Amino acid sequence: MSFIDTELHRPIKYRTGKALDIKSISVEFDGFKALTDVTVGVKRNSIHFFIGPNGAGKTTLLDIICAKTKPTSGTVHFYPEEGYEILLTGMKEYAIANAGVGRKFQVPSVFTELSVYDNMVLSLSGNKRIWSSIFRKVTPKENDIIADVLDKVGLTSHANEKAGSLSHGQKQWLEIGMQLAARPKIIMLDEPAAGMGKPETFRTGELLKRIKDICTVIVVEHDMEFVKQVADTVTVLHEGMVLTEGNIDDVLANETVQKVYLGRGGE
Amino acid sequence: MDMLTKPALNVVKKSRKGYHITFAVIALLLALSPFLIDGTSLVQFLGKCMCYAIVGIALDLIWGYTGMLSLGHGLWFCLGGYAMAMFLKLEGTGGKITDFMQTGGLDALPWFWTPFGSFPVTLALIIVIPAVFAGLVGFFVFRSRIKGVYFSIITQALTWAVYSLFMANSKYTGGNNGITDIASVFGKTKGEANRPNLLLLFFVTLAVLVLVYLLATYLTGRKFGKLLIAIRDGENRTYFSGYSVNSYKNFIYAVSAVLAAIAGALFVNFNGSITPTQMTIGYSITMVIWVAVGGRGTIIGAVIGAFFINLCEYNFSSGILVEAWQYIIGAIFCLTILLFKGGIVGIVRDNIPSLIRKIKERKKPAEKEAA
Amino acid sequence: MEQLVTTLFNGLSLSSIYLLVALGLAITFGQMGVINMAHGEFVMLGAYMTFCTQEFFKNFLPESIGSFYYFAAIILAFIVTFGLGCLLEKVLISRLYGRKIDSLLATWGVSLILQQLVRTIFGAQGVNVNAPAFLRGGLEVNGLTFSYNRIFIIILVAFCLAMVWLLVNRSRYGSRMRATMQNRPMAQCMGINTKKIDCITFGIGSGLAGIAGCSVALLGSVDSTVGQNYIVYSFMTVVLGGVGNLFGTVIGAGIIGFSSIFVENYQSASIARAIVLLIIIVFLQFKPSGLFTIRSRVLDEGV
Repeated sequence: MSFIDTELHRPIKYRTGKALDIKSISVEFDGFKALTDVTVGVKRNSIHFFIGPNGAGKTTLLDIICAKTKPTSGTVHFYPEEGYEILLTGMKEYAIANAGVGRKFQVPSVFTELSVYDNMVLSLSGNKRIWSSIFRKVTPKENDIIADVLDKVGLTSHANEKAGSLSHGQKQWLEIGMQLAARPKIIMLDEPAAGMGKPETFRTGELLKRIKDICTVIVVEHDMEFVKQVADTVTVLHEGMVLTEGNIDDVLANETVQKVYLGRGGE
Repeated sequence: MDMLTKPALNVVKKSRKGYHITFAVIALLLALSPFLIDGTSLVQFLGKCMCYAIVGIALDLIWGYTGMLSLGHGLWFCLGGYAMAMFLKLEGTGGKITDFMQTGGLDALPWFWTPFGSFPVTLALIIVIPAVFAGLVGFFVFRSRIKGVYFSIITQALTWAVYSLFMANSKYTGGNNGITDIASVFGKTKGEANRPNLLLLFFVTLAVLVLVYLLATYLTGRKFGKLLIAIRDGENRTYFSGYSVNSYKNFIYAVSAVLAAIAGALFVNFNGSITPTQMTIGYSITMVIWVAVGGRGTIIGAVIGAFFINLCEYNFSSGILVEAWQYIIGAIFCLTILLFKGGIVGIVRDNIPSLIRKIKERKKPAEKEAA
Repeated sequence: MEQLVTTLFNGLSLSSIYLLVALGLAITFGQMGVINMAHGEFVMLGAYMTFCTQEFFKNFLPESIGSFYYFAAIILAFIVTFGLGCLLEKVLISRLYGRKIDSLLATWGVSLILQQLVRTIFGAQGVNVNAPAFLRGGLEVNGLTFSYNRIFIIILVAFCLAMVWLLVNRSRYGSRMRATMQNRPMAQCMGINTKKIDCITFGIGSGLAGIAGCSVALLGSVDSTVGQNYIVYSFMTVVLGGVGNLFGTVIGAGIIGFSSIFVENYQSASIARAIVLLIIIVFLQFKPSGLFTIRSRVLDEGV
C-alpha cells in the first residue's frame, strides 16, 4: 500500500534511514519550558522508547509530532519511505494521521458509543472524505483486515459489543488495534502497558516486535521491564531536554540517568 | 500468525426495525387523519406538526447525533419561511409592492424581493440561502474549533442578531408583524370550501416528511452516521483517526439548516403568516425540547417528540390550562433532562424493559422460597 | 466634544449594566462551567423584588423613610435570588455536573417556569419602579446632564465588582472555591466540603443577578421577559472576556457596551445590536477562547 501524494511528499535524493527526524524542538506554555531544543532521529522499522521522570516532556513530544501542540520553534520531518520527505510541522492533525502517523493516547480513547467493529471501520486507512463515508461500503478486503487485527488483539468475540462496555485493558487493546487497522508508517503509543497485567504487557511487547517489520514504533513508557523486553533505542528526557540516547543497557548504566531517576525516588 | 485457529468475525448490524415500523404507523395515521377529522383547523394543525417533525429531525442530526446543540435553529426555519412567504406575498399582490413597504415609504419593490416572484427560483433559494449562510457560519465557527456550550452561545447570538435585523428593517421584512395574509402554494386553505387545497398541501408535506425521514435514516445508517457519533464521543480522537472533523461538522450543520428551512417553507403554507417570533431564542429552544422529550439520537424520537409536545399544547390551548401549560412544559423538560436522557424512545426501549427484568428477577427468588 | 462626553457616559453606563449581569455569570459559568439559562430570570426576579419592596414601603411604612426602600430592595433581591440559586443548584445542577449542555437545557426549563410564575402573580402587564427621590434628576456639568440613577448604577457595579474580587481572591472562602474548581478530588482530600462550595458559589452568582435586577428596574418597565434582553449580551461578555477571568469580563463588558453606544450614534439600536454581535463572532474566530485565557493541559473536557 504505497500512495504518493505529490503535494505532500517531497522527493529527496539522499537516504536517511530514518522514519522521523525531530530537529531542535522547543515548546513554551506561558513561560514554562516544556521542551528545550530537542533533537532526535527515529530509525526506520525500529522500536524507539522515550523514557524519563514525570514532567520530562515525553507526552508533549508526541503531541508535537501529531500536531496536538504547536512547537514554539523547530521542525519535525517524516519519511514515509526512502526518498520522500514530509514536513509535519504546520500540518493539521488529521492530515498527519492520513499521511501515516498514528497515535494511541495515554488515557484509552475509543468511541464508547460505537461497537468494537465500528471503531475498527472508522480507523481503516483511506476514504476519509464525507462522500465516501456516505456512499462507500466496507469492502471484503477491509473486512479481512479488521478480522485479522481483531484476532491479533483478541477482541474477535467482542466485535459487536459497545466499546464503552469493555474493560480498561480491553480498551487499550482496542486502541492499539485501531492503530494497526490504519496501517500506519509510524505508530506512537503513550504508556501502552498502563493498566495491563504482567502477561498482557508481555503480549503487547511481542505484538510490537512483530509489527515493527511493517512500521516504526515510538513508545512512551515507565515500565522498565517492558522497555528491556522490546526497545531498540531509548531516549531519556529530563526537564524538557535530551539527557542521553542509546540502547537500553548503555542508558541504564549512565550515571546521570541513575541520578535523575534515583533523585526522584526511582521508578 | 496462527491463521488456522482464527475465530470467524461475525458482525451483527443493529436492527432499527422497531423505529421504522413506528414511523410507518405514524405516517399511516397521518395519511388517514384528514378523512377521519371534521373541519380544517385540526388538519391544518397536524400539517404544522409535520413541519415541526422535520425541524426536529434536523436538530437531532446535529444535536442527538453529533453533539452540537444549536440554540438558533429558528433562524434557519425562518429563512425558509420568509423565502416562501415572500413568494406567496408577491403572488397575492401580483408582483407589486406590499402593504408594509408602502407604510415604510418604499415606492418600488426592493431588489432582493424580485427573485421571489418566480416559484422555481424561490424553491432553489429556500435551499441555497440557508446552505450558503450555514456553510459560511459553520466554516468560521468550526475552523476555530468552537464547540460545546460555546457553539450554543454563538448560535444563540447569531439568531438574536438576525432577529434584530428583521425587526429593525420593517419596510423590507414587515418588522414585528412579519409577512401576513398569505395563501398557500395551492391557494387558500382556510374554510371547508378550500379543503381540496388543504389536502393537497397536507399530502405534499407528508411526502416531504417521509423523504426527510428516509434521508436522515440513510445518512445515520452509513459510516457517516457512525462518524457523527464518533465526533460526539471523542472529537479529538476522530481528528487523530484522520478525519477532517470540522468539514464533517460543517456539512451536517448545513444539511440540518437546509432541512429546517424546508420545514419553515412548508410551515408558512399552513400558518398563513411568518413572524420574527419564530426566530426567537425561546422558539428555537422549544424545538430542542421536542427532540429531548421524544428522544435524542434516534430519528424517530425527534418525530415523536414534535408530535407529542405539540399535540399536548394544542389540547391545552384553551381554558385555564393555557397558563398551566408553561409550568407543565418547563417541568417536563427538566424531568426529561434529569431522569430520562433518552426521552420517550429511551423509556420504551431501555427503561421499561429493564424494569420488567427487575420485576421478573424479584419474582424468581420469591418463587424459589415458596417452593 | 459634548457629544463625545455624552457618548462616553452612556457607554460606561451600558457597559456597567452588562457587567453587573455578566458578573454573576462569570461566577457560575466562569468558575463552575455551568451555563445557567435562568440567569436572566434571576435578573427579572430581582427587578420584581424591587417593585415589591417599593409597594411594601409605600403602603405600610412612613413616607419619611420611603426613599430607603431601594437599599432594602437590593438586600432583599440578593437574599431571594441567592436562596433560589442555592435551591436550583441542589435540586438540578448538582445532578448534572459533567453534562454541561444538559444543565443548560434544564435551566431553560426552570426559566420557563419562573417566567410563568411571575405572569401568574403580577400579570402579563409590566410594572413600573419609581426611582427613589435621591436618584431623580441629574448632575449638571457645563450644560450636560448625567442622570443620578445611571451614576448610581455605575457606583453599584464598581462596589459589586470590588466585593467579588475580594471574595474570590482575598477571602478564605475564595481560595476554597478556586481550589474546588481547579481540582475537585484534591480539594475534597484537603477536607473542603465541595458540595457546599458549589451550592454557595452558584447562590452568589444568582444573587448578583438579583442585584442586577434592581438596577435594571430603574431603567424601564419590568415584565417577565426583561431578563431575556440582557442574557445574550451577558453570555457574549463572558465568552469575549475569556471564561474564568474576572478582569476579562470587565473588558468584555466595556467593549460590548461602548461599541453598542458608538454604533448607535450612526445606526438604529437594533442594527447596532446585530453589528456588535457579528463583530464578536468574527473576533472569536481569531481568539476562540476569548481575550484573556488561562491555558491548561486538560485534553478532552466533558461536553
